[in-house]
Amino acid sequence: METELTQLNLVGAVRLALKQEMERDPDVVVLGEDVGIDGGVFRATEGLIKEFGENRVIDTPLSESGIVGVAIGLALYGLKPVAEIQFEGFLYPALDQIISHVGRIRNRSRGRFHVPLVIRFPYGGGIRAPEHHSDSPEALLVHTPGIKVVTPSTPYDAKGLLASAIRDPDPVLFMEPKRIYRAIVEDVPEDGYTVPLGEAKIVSEGTDVTLVSWGAMVRYSNEAAETVKDRISVEVVDLRTLSPMDTATITKSVEKTGRAVVVHEAPRTAGLGAEITAVINETAFLSLEAPVERVTGFDVPFPQHKLENYYLPNTERIVKAIEKVANF
Amino acid sequence: MPTRVTEEFKVSMLKILDEEGNSDDSLKPELTDYQIKQLYELMILTRTFDDLALKLQREGRIGTYPPSRGQEATQVASAYALEASDWLFPAFRECGAYITKGWPMDMQYQYWAGDDRGSKLPENSHIFTISIPVGTQIPHAVGFAWAAKLRGDKIAVLAYLGDGATSEGDVHEGMNFAGVFKVPVVLLCQNNQWAISVPRSRQTAAKTLAQRAYSYGFEGIQVDGNDVFAVYKATKDALDKARSGNGPTLIECVTYRMADHTTSDDAQRYRTSQELEEWAKRDPIERLRKYMKKNSLWSSEYENKVQTEASEKVRVAIEKFESAKPPEVRDLFAWTYAELPPNLTKQYEELARSVGGGD
Amino acid sequence: MPIDFKFPDIGEGITEGEIVKWQVKEGDRVEEHQTIASIETDKAIADIPSPRSGIILKIHHKEGDIVKVGETLVTIGEQNETIEKLPELPSRPTASVVGVLEEPHTVSPRPTRIAATPATRRLARELAVDLTEIPGTGLQGRITEDDIRKFARSKKERIEVATKPAEKRDTYGCYDVVPMKGVRRSTAKKMVESFRTAVHVTHMDEADVTELIAFREKQNKIAEKRGVHLTYMPFILKAVVAALKQYPYLNSSVDDEHEEIILKKYYNIGVAADTPDGLIVPVVKDADQKDIFTVAQEIQNLTEKAQSREIVLSDLKGGTFTITNIGFIGGTHATPITNYPETAILATGRIRETPVVRDGQIVIRSIMPLSLSFDHRVTDGALAARFVNMIMKFMQDPSLLL
Repeated sequence: METELTQLNLVGAVRLALKQEMERDPDVVVLGEDVGIDGGVFRATEGLIKEFGENRVIDTPLSESGIVGVAIGLALYGLKPVAEIQFEGFLYPALDQIISHVGRIRNRSRGRFHVPLVIRFPYGGGIRAPEHHSDSPEALLVHTPGIKVVTPSTPYDAKGLLASAIRDPDPVLFMEPKRIYRAIVEDVPEDGYTVPLGEAKIVSEGTDVTLVSWGAMVRYSNEAAETVKDRISVEVVDLRTLSPMDTATITKSVEKTGRAVVVHEAPRTAGLGAEITAVINETAFLSLEAPVERVTGFDVPFPQHKLENYYLPNTERIVKAIEKVANF
Repeated sequence: MPTRVTEEFKVSMLKILDEEGNSDDSLKPELTDYQIKQLYELMILTRTFDDLALKLQREGRIGTYPPSRGQEATQVASAYALEASDWLFPAFRECGAYITKGWPMDMQYQYWAGDDRGSKLPENSHIFTISIPVGTQIPHAVGFAWAAKLRGDKIAVLAYLGDGATSEGDVHEGMNFAGVFKVPVVLLCQNNQWAISVPRSRQTAAKTLAQRAYSYGFEGIQVDGNDVFAVYKATKDALDKARSGNGPTLIECVTYRMADHTTSDDAQRYRTSQELEEWAKRDPIERLRKYMKKNSLWSSEYENKVQTEASEKVRVAIEKFESAKPPEVRDLFAWTYAELPPNLTKQYEELARSVGGGD
Repeated sequence: MPIDFKFPDIGEGITEGEIVKWQVKEGDRVEEHQTIASIETDKAIADIPSPRSGIILKIHHKEGDIVKVGETLVTIGEQNETIEKLPELPSRPTASVVGVLEEPHTVSPRPTRIAATPATRRLARELAVDLTEIPGTGLQGRITEDDIRKFARSKKERIEVATKPAEKRDTYGCYDVVPMKGVRRSTAKKMVESFRTAVHVTHMDEADVTELIAFREKQNKIAEKRGVHLTYMPFILKAVVAALKQYPYLNSSVDDEHEEIILKKYYNIGVAADTPDGLIVPVVKDADQKDIFTVAQEIQNLTEKAQSREIVLSDLKGGTFTITNIGFIGGTHATPITNYPETAILATGRIRETPVVRDGQIVIRSIMPLSLSFDHRVTDGALAARFVNMIMKFMQDPSLLL
């Protein structure tokens, strides 16, 4: 059976996933600011209101905490809401609802109630945007029990992971790396498919250094690996799901290579690089030939775009880190 | 050009039963003698449950507890107006409503004793879990009611909040959504005059809390919170209105928190005994008792019977809650996700090994 | 049963309170929830009710005393109940009872800092090489894997060559000094520990393995196709496991401190190997869950690793019973020492064709001597004998093992 393929960028893949999930399950509803008539400020929900009507694609007031809180109520009743928060910088008002309730209701009620909610939002820097449009808050979210945190790095994964997230009985924070919303285009199967949550992907195999990354940074990790491939064999791991993290894949890779580099945009201190280093310490210590190296943003507020390029990890910084661990 | 008035609103206070037990029959809701007795008995049961809770806390048998003394009419009469298919979204100080709507008393004690199993309400019990962060339950209630509307189910949701909660952003956002989407929710504000030590006058400069509703495009009314008939009528009318698709209502029940904020508080530090005495005269149970006496619905034998039955029910509830097996190590992990992810399995095994057990 | 009512934390983190007034006295009967005291904390004066009905048997503090949260306020019980100190429930011990192999280079504090990565250190441990003896040729004087392997090889050679130590003399003549190191040293320590703690008795018998020989020949043909060479050891091992299931006391260890016998529910069988460096006992783990061929393969692999000194610590740990075959060199019965902390060990001697009497006739049968040393603190002679009988039953009718 021929699978029809279509060329899609990441935001297009998100849109197609939403459409197909809404077709498949009448309980799926989309809500958020400007998601209806305007189709979302990144066009992630374009065309959906025309197909599914204004009772399933809902423009809400400008009210992030309200959006998430109300979405909890919808989910409690039995709907499968997919709430859009326009930018990661505006997720913060909703953090109380996320931390105090989204992640706790199943536990608090011992399973009597649960929240099958997806909150999707664009995140990450590199688009020369105003303040509060470039953060990477994944550490705060991964540190919150009871929710799952997912971030695709390719259109194929975006479509499959979002479908899985919508079908998951637990709440999922779906982080879309806005820098690569349009930058990566690839063949994506047109029919419905899922990519499982909780599984990392080995993007390219290698034997000398393990390079762990996610979101927009995977692209630069691949470039860095390509740059050094004649002298250092790098295994690139795309985590895809940050919580629950596929630590088994990381462990297996580091046991093989003995050297690891983690790359993330988020600030260094208490970023997920620290967690991954702790995991490697616990599970692959005896294989280590060098300390784990982190390539990250800095412990400063994300700068306005004139200084953005100093802040964000890039291919050169990643290459330097690979060389450092390789030559330790 | 002459100034045109674009919008006006009025807030009125509903009173039916006065402090001497006289009822305004033109306003009195339809309630049979049996139902009036039920209301009375539920209020007595509430007060008994509540009093015992305070004692249990002082005995170290439950943890911190927020008493409802003085608010029995607000809680019981409002919940009494709910249909079986309607839902109740609590804040945390509504034991009279919980008892009326069907959260088993032993499970309530279990919850306050720090055991989450108390929140695993039975399927037919249409009560959501207690919400400790103030006001955050309002968007949940609104979303829930909204989903029912989208699905075409004719139910209403009764959401409770306090006077303090009306200052929280989530209450504003939730009420706004409720107005925009004309959601079948009734918001019942128990204005008991105090948010711990902060008096109602410090909570907002607005003259009433009910008028907040007008900011969101729907109606708000004040009700004498210690008047069972008024509370019942206002709630029933609002629930009917919601269920028939006519949108939300905010009911401000004016009542008084006779006890401390919780068992960790000492209200004498910030309130006068004068104020307490004033409000004691308006006691909701005494008021109904007076009415029932006047209408031959009460006798001292009846009173005795009601009190004895209430004490017995509460005693049985305490016994049941205290005879439950302690929660297991596994309960710490099992309810965070639908299935234990690898990191939690690992952590559970680690803990189980170190306590020399687990299942 | 009288209860001690302890002062609860009545206010989210208060630590103590002052007893303002007792509302009852000793001997009073109280009802559940009746107020018995007024206590002042930094939050307020609180009335403390009684958690149960009964008689106040004893009031533990007087008015004006400061009581800490958790201290007993009153003891409540019934008439004639005395206040005994309730026995403290013993806490579950968490100490492990499995003995620890001497692990070279792990705990002894090193006087100087050794530069080596975790991976390198692991290799050093596996090859039983002392990092303090190795000069590092890596970056910044770091010890590399090559450094370790070279050293390990030369050490092996040195031990062989070192049969010419410096000549020493004492009053009676010449003597040589050989320091006890490595495997010799750990073996010596373990033997002492085992001998010191266990009361060793050896039960001896002879197994008729005539059927087993034929059976092994047949099974070996199948095994060779899989690349596995079947010796007698896998059969003996499986027979032992089958018998251990019936006689769990032979699959145990002893916790001297708590005077407890720990009966293992897993079957990790050690197979002694004689290597150039000395006696090493690799362990076949979960032998009950593996078939004969898997067991044979594993024994083969482990023995090879042991011979080439590539065996890792985890292969040597966790044993519950040991089998040692001296027969391939010679000998009949023996009195082996148990492999501490195990409480039993089976030695097998050389198979000999022997004349025996069957139904009044003399016939030639192949006989394998068996010697079971066991810890008499745990097992009695009769049980040991039955255990060995069962092993022999399985060995004499090997089809029971497949």
